[in-house]
Amino acid sequence: MLFIIEDTLNGILMGAIYGLAALGLTVIFGVLKVINFAHGSLLMVGMYVAYWAVLLTGVHPYLSLIVVVPVMFVFGYLLQDILIKPIFKSEKEVREPITVIIVTTGVWYILDNLALLIFGPQYRNIQDNPLRGKMLEIGEMMVSVPKLWGFFTALATALLIYLFLQKTRMGRAVRATSLDRDAASLQGINQYRIYNIAFGLGTAVAGVAGVTLVPFYNIFPTVGVLFDIKCFIIVVLGGLGSIGGALLGGMIIGVIESVGPQFMTATWTEAIVYALFLAFLFLKPSGLFGVKYDW
Amino acid sequence: MLPSRARKLPLVLVALAAFGLPLVVTSATYLHILILLFLYAYLTTSWNLVGGFAGVLPLGHAAFVGIGAYTSTILSLQYGVSPWIGMFAGALIAAVVGVIIGLPTFKMRGAYFALATIAFAEGIRVMFENIDHLGPFQINGPRGLQIPPLKTGLVHFMFADKEPYYYIILVMLAAVLALTWAISRSKLGFYLVAGGEEPEAAQALGVNVARAKLAAMAMSSFLTALAGTFWAQFTLYIHPKSVMSLDISFEIAFIALIGGRGSIAGPVLGALLLRPVSDFSRIYFGDTLPGLHLIIFGVVLVLVMLFQPRGLQEPLTRFYQQAMRRLSGGREAAP
Amino acid sequence: MKVLEIKKVRRYFGGIKAVENFSLDVEEGAIVGLIGPNGAGKSTLFNCVAGVFPPTAGEIVFLGERTAGLKPWDLCRRGLARTFQIVKPFASRSVLYNVMVGAFAGTARRSEAERRALEVLERLRMVKIKDARAGNLTIADRKRLEIARALATRPRLLLLDEVMAGLRPTEVDEMVAIIKGLRDSGMTIFVIEHIMRAIMALSDRIAVLHFGSKIAEGTPQEIARDERVIKAYLGEDYGAA
Ligand SMILES: Nc1ncnc2c1ncn2[C@@H]1O[C@H](COP(=O)(O)OP(=O)(O)OP(=O)(O)O)[C@@H](O)[C@H]1O
Ligand SMILES: [Mg+2]
Repeated sequence: MLFIIEDTLNGILMGAIYGLAALGLTVIFGVLKVINFAHGSLLMVGMYVAYWAVLLTGVHPYLSLIVVVPVMFVFGYLLQDILIKPIFKSEKEVREPITVIIVTTGVWYILDNLALLIFGPQYRNIQDNPLRGKMLEIGEMMVSVPKLWGFFTALATALLIYLFLQKTRMGRAVRATSLDRDAASLQGINQYRIYNIAFGLGTAVAGVAGVTLVPFYNIFPTVGVLFDIKCFIIVVLGGLGSIGGALLGGMIIGVIESVGPQFMTATWTEAIVYALFLAFLFLKPSGLFGVKYDW
Repeated sequence: MLPSRARKLPLVLVALAAFGLPLVVTSATYLHILILLFLYAYLTTSWNLVGGFAGVLPLGHAAFVGIGAYTSTILSLQYGVSPWIGMFAGALIAAVVGVIIGLPTFKMRGAYFALATIAFAEGIRVMFENIDHLGPFQINGPRGLQIPPLKTGLVHFMFADKEPYYYIILVMLAAVLALTWAISRSKLGFYLVAGGEEPEAAQALGVNVARAKLAAMAMSSFLTALAGTFWAQFTLYIHPKSVMSLDISFEIAFIALIGGRGSIAGPVLGALLLRPVSDFSRIYFGDTLPGLHLIIFGVVLVLVMLFQPRGLQEPLTRFYQQAMRRLSGGREAAP
Repeated sequence: MKVLEIKKVRRYFGGIKAVENFSLDVEEGAIVGLIGPNGAGKSTLFNCVAGVFPPTAGEIVFLGERTAGLKPWDLCRRGLARTFQIVKPFASRSVLYNVMVGAFAGTARRSEAERRALEVLERLRMVKIKDARAGNLTIADRKRLEIARALATRPRLLLLDEVMAGLRPTEVDEMVAIIKGLRDSGMTIFVIEHIMRAIMALSDRIAVLHFGSKIAEGTPQEIARDERVIKAYLGEDYGAA
């Protein structure tokens, strides 16, 4: 019995990190109303940035946030400004331009394979960092310390984004745009700048997720793909556009993945996750907390 | 308008050239590349029925390739059924699966459908990687199925040389192009385009949009599965990663989008342009610059979407029509 | 014979009462006008009639059949066609293509659909622009395209939602003539319009909506004299004129 509690606990911690990764996706979706297929790749980029920052300076992995967050924000901001904005402008009347999904898919392929070209296919990790392999003993249970850090980072990030959206002027503009972009632009809000900011924010969050992974996870060019599909599943589970839903959805996946192998092979748990996803898609497409979009 | 004979002539020439090509191209490597090119043109044209005309973005067509490949292979390995028959059995199963995916998702827009198709395809792949037996059927999990090259000949859909495969896929491609052409001019074609562009207006004009899309999805998955059998018989070895991977689904979609989805020439054009890029960069840079062709795919895709969102087919068609007009105009001027 | 019977229809959107207890009969061969200020609920009523969404309460009978549960495409095939206030052309396709989509409602044959479409385009004097891309049309032509597509389905009842908004005076006159011509060929027409001159010239009867409720119904002369209508909608100027 104890090991199930232990697995559940570790599943929740890892799941919070999945949720953190999905959080960026949901922020972008909430505002632009498009799924960013390059999200996993952005996470991968964040992981490499963190990896090199830590390797070159030897600081604590979480200190790399100082570099990762601004770098990723600017990266996302520019990505949206240069590649995606022109499409929104030319397809104004389209409610949900498929073209944007396609462009982000192209970006996914470019980033993943550029990473492969530059860094090679090998798995990298930071061997000597203060978090690696650390375990916390609670009674007879072992809890992973780096995942615990990740868990709290996820909660803190979600809270910060929530506060940003609710309490700041800029956040209110973002929310106005996400509710009705035409009405928002009538009120003098520059819709495209808001898009840039939302995309930058989502990318920065992907970077934060990358930082939480670096202390204990392998870094390789296609690592994003693993998270990409998980993030899609999580946001559908939690409800596209919902912050709390992303975290909860992530934890559900995390628990299934860590408890499941007690009862079946690990790959079957993967199949269960897909089945759950499809069940939601068919039965409750708005997810646990989602708004029912008119599409 | 162009005189119809002037428009048909180039088509006839291209068809003749395609049929004569193996006389010139004798290298097995090049023939292999050509076969894959036509295979992808076929797959993309099948995808285009739903991804192009119906205006949605399916990103899981590899599942249908896999269903086709596995069905005919299992039937022939375990029950001695000719792959030609297994081919259509697989296609029927794929059509049913396609409809099952489409039923709940076609009512929603874009992103959900794309996500559902990815998840479905990945789910099926993961399942195949996990099971050795599905009821009485041997699947062999990740190890896949090997087709022993025992009996060759047309009935067995197995040949020692590459030429027969070349001709089979060429005929399949010609057939699916003709079918697409016929559909694009039919009521269904009109209804798909209308429902894809403005669903509400289409419904007000009597179009049951979801039903039209389901019909397209059924046909598209049926046709895609046929190519799965071809793939199995051509490579004689299938496993979940080879016939069901996400990469196949994405490559099909990329080729269609770059060539120009929703047009008949687009998918073929896309395959003509992109397949050589991927084959040659794999041959020449595979070791030194892995993934180069995927970077090229990505860059071309982004550029095309930014500057030519209806695909490369559009400027090329315009150019072609101008050239034809000039040619035929010149002929009329000089009696 | 009554083509359309609307019986005590309500439509709420959350707390908004877009249509409240609305009843109206439309006789065969009539042109019935529906007027009212912005946001009065006119388009919402059309959407209920056309099957876009069901009424919250009440009943709609089209050609003797209750329409509950019927979808827009079912109603279209039973002879009801409508235009959209915000035009929705199939932008990437030609005018002829657009109209053929409508024509396919009555035939599966392409040649027949093309023949019917051309017939409609002829009638609306649009043959010259049949090969133009629908997305490139002027606003007047887009409105006419909306009508052309609807006509190609060969409806018994045609719902027109502000097809004259944004047209120049000469174009309005032309449109009035076209609509009268349609009626003379036996079609029944239910029309929303803000342009008073047009609606007065066209309609046999007019109903007036105000905040979702019908405040008056009658001949154009009766409506023009109605105190409440003048107050709520027409304004003092119109009543005096
Ligand atoms: N789909 C909807 N969801 C929520 N509210 C709606 C919806 N459609 C209409 N409404 C509301 O119902 C009311 C009536 O709108 P409607 O479009 O029917 O007015 P209208 O008479 O056609 O006005 P106009 O002359 O401006 O076209 C408005 O308050 C509108 O905001
Ligand atoms: Mg209206």
